[in-house]
Amino acid sequence: MSMLRQIAIVSLLNFRNLRQRRWQSLVVVAGMACVIGVLLSMLSMAEGVHQANLNNGDPRNAIVVSRGTVFEGNSSIPRDKAHIVMAAPGIAKAADGSPIADPILSVGVPARLQKNGGRTWIALRSFGKNGALLHPTFHMVAGRMFRPGARELIVGDLARFQVAEMRVGDKVSMPDGEWPIVGAFATGDMMDGRLVGDTETLMASLRRKAYTTIQARMASPAVFVIFRGALTSNPALAVDVMRLPEWNAKSSADFIKFMHVIIYGVGVILAIGALFACFNTMYAAVESRGREIATLRALGYGGFAVAASVVLEAAALSVAGALIGASAAWSLYDGVLSGLGSEVFTLTVSPPMIGTALLWAVAVALLGGILPSIQAARWTVSDALRAR
Amino acid sequence: MKDWGPLRYFPLVWAALRRKPVRSVLTFLSVTVAFALFGLMIGLNATINLLAQQARADRVWTFLRYDNTGLPIAVAKRVATLPGVKTITVMSYLNGYVGDPKNRTFITMGDGDYGRVYPDQGVTPEQWDAVHKQRNAIVMSRKQAALWHRKTGDMFTVIAPEITRADGGKNWVFKVVGISEDISYAPAGMIFGNYDYYDKSRPLADQGKINEVDFLVKDAGQAAAIGQRIDRLFANSASPTFSDTETSAFSPSNFGGMDVQTVTREVAAAGLLMMLFLTATVITQSVRERRAEFATLKTIGFSDAAMIALVMVEAALPCLSGAVCGVAAAAWLAQHMQALMPPDFGIPAPTMAASVFAWALASACGVALAGAALPVLRLRRMDIASALSGRA
Repeated sequence: MSMLRQIAIVSLLNFRNLRQRRWQSLVVVAGMACVIGVLLSMLSMAEGVHQANLNNGDPRNAIVVSRGTVFEGNSSIPRDKAHIVMAAPGIAKAADGSPIADPILSVGVPARLQKNGGRTWIALRSFGKNGALLHPTFHMVAGRMFRPGARELIVGDLARFQVAEMRVGDKVSMPDGEWPIVGAFATGDMMDGRLVGDTETLMASLRRKAYTTIQARMASPAVFVIFRGALTSNPALAVDVMRLPEWNAKSSADFIKFMHVIIYGVGVILAIGALFACFNTMYAAVESRGREIATLRALGYGGFAVAASVVLEAAALSVAGALIGASAAWSLYDGVLSGLGSEVFTLTVSPPMIGTALLWAVAVALLGGILPSIQAARWTVSDALRAR
Repeated sequence: MKDWGPLRYFPLVWAALRRKPVRSVLTFLSVTVAFALFGLMIGLNATINLLAQQARADRVWTFLRYDNTGLPIAVAKRVATLPGVKTITVMSYLNGYVGDPKNRTFITMGDGDYGRVYPDQGVTPEQWDAVHKQRNAIVMSRKQAALWHRKTGDMFTVIAPEITRADGGKNWVFKVVGISEDISYAPAGMIFGNYDYYDKSRPLADQGKINEVDFLVKDAGQAAAIGQRIDRLFANSASPTFSDTETSAFSPSNFGGMDVQTVTREVAAAGLLMMLFLTATVITQSVRERRAEFATLKTIGFSDAAMIALVMVEAALPCLSGAVCGVAAAAWLAQHMQALMPPDFGIPAPTMAASVFAWALASACGVALAGAALPVLRLRRMDIASALSGRA
């Protein structure tokens, strides 16, 4: 009889009498469901923030920040330098021949959280005349666009979920008075949780002499290198030039790592707990099936087949638990709107994350099942028959 | 014979636990792990509450309203003249890295009164004197000193790409003149330097610009009002301000924009749930395997109550010992968590307050009681004859 057939027959036998051991077996299922449920629920947040950061803005854009900038808010590009950047080679041209590039001012505006009135800052980004061109997904969903030169703002359609008083018609306190929100827009990225106003009007209101960053649409992916070369080799400028996705990944990397350390830390601790529980259950399962195992061995089934069946059972229980936990996390959180401070993003439980969770489950089952399985395989027939 | 009271039955429980040593040890271990997590979570909550309690209602922070680049020091001079303001300090942050851009750090540059406004940040008045006597002196907290392997007398160079010196350089060289104690709300540790030196080392155009004006007020009840007054005063200036009391900044429900308390409670609950399942099945199984033994006890005159107590204690022992060991493990982990974090981030170390132990023990008892409930009910309904004959 082939080894595989032996394993299949013994495993089938195990699964048939699972009903007699259902409470014991449920420990593994429930334990794994807790581990994976908690892990994926927390990861859904990290993944949501990660995706939102990575997909923030048009990937064809390049971003120019002052040299050495780590946090966007510390970047500063004076007006006269901005002109040099806007004239650099490689920038795509609009229909009228002007470069599709805009200096951007970004600041934080004090606000109140929707849920508890706690303090927060909502990001305010400026749009120049190419603002909408640089964000191809940008469209108005309510009210109207701000008029250049007017002290008006528009707000992302999702901001109101996280921040109080962010609807069309509300007013935002600015240095020179209250600016009305005249419209709401959607872009499908992190801009949806932000305020937008006219660049030059904001510069005047905030009395700024320098923009924060510059975004420019590249004429083609290949010209980025020329664009970067032209700017970084220009002694009049002290800037760093990056593709927008590259900048997004770089600027959010530490925060993502921070979240992952916490989440995987909690996940690993829970998983170790589940591992011991799995150990326990599988030992008990092997013990309670002592006679059965002995009979099988007496009939000529190999020790390996018996051991493999134990591990398979552990894996099946563990994966079942993981699937329960994953579907709970997925149905509760996937696609749900959430926020961190004033930033709005969508919680995500993606298939690769569920795949990773299942791998965890299999790993726990292997580790937890292997010792009991060795015990099962090593039992001599006479020992096992004597076992109660 | 000496009467040991109910304790004389302890060998019975001990024998029950030793009957399947592997099972008992594994149960204990998984309970320990679950309580380590529980301890970390509840401990973090305790820390957040502690920070909120320690936050001083009479301390107000004022910074720029729309970003954090260059508040004119003139604002501080104006704030100092307001009635109700007791002691005022200004500070700037020197953000940079040590050797490699990955190794970020920052130095809080305080003026001569910083130590008086913040007597609770671990730096002694003597250390502040030393910082202000020698221009490029800094005091490092223990964690930062350990991170960068520095001791008193060592030099420490921070490369600050965003902060240029008057000579055009970006390397800031400091001398460590003291090591201070860490404080709980700066989990990555802190470094303190001399604001005056920092300011005078900057290009003329950048001098006189600070990040923050912080001050103590005479009457804590007036703190918020004074803050609002400052914000109104500068609302139409080139530098509109934003003032906040420390109490409001450390509000537990809005910790770094996250509702940490809810998250930690949910994780702790998941750990408890796992444990409840495990304890319940282990004790149920153990009782089922020993029905004959319990029947014998009943036959020789043990009351229902005594047997229930035996099962409860058998369930409670691994739970309680696991809770104690788990919280102890959490306390150890709490000290070493920061090492894993990226340099700029950190969560305050969980506090292993007495309340954490109390919660852990209470939860352990709860889990043991709930886990033992079902087998106990079965024991009470047990028919002695059938149990002894092994038919049940």
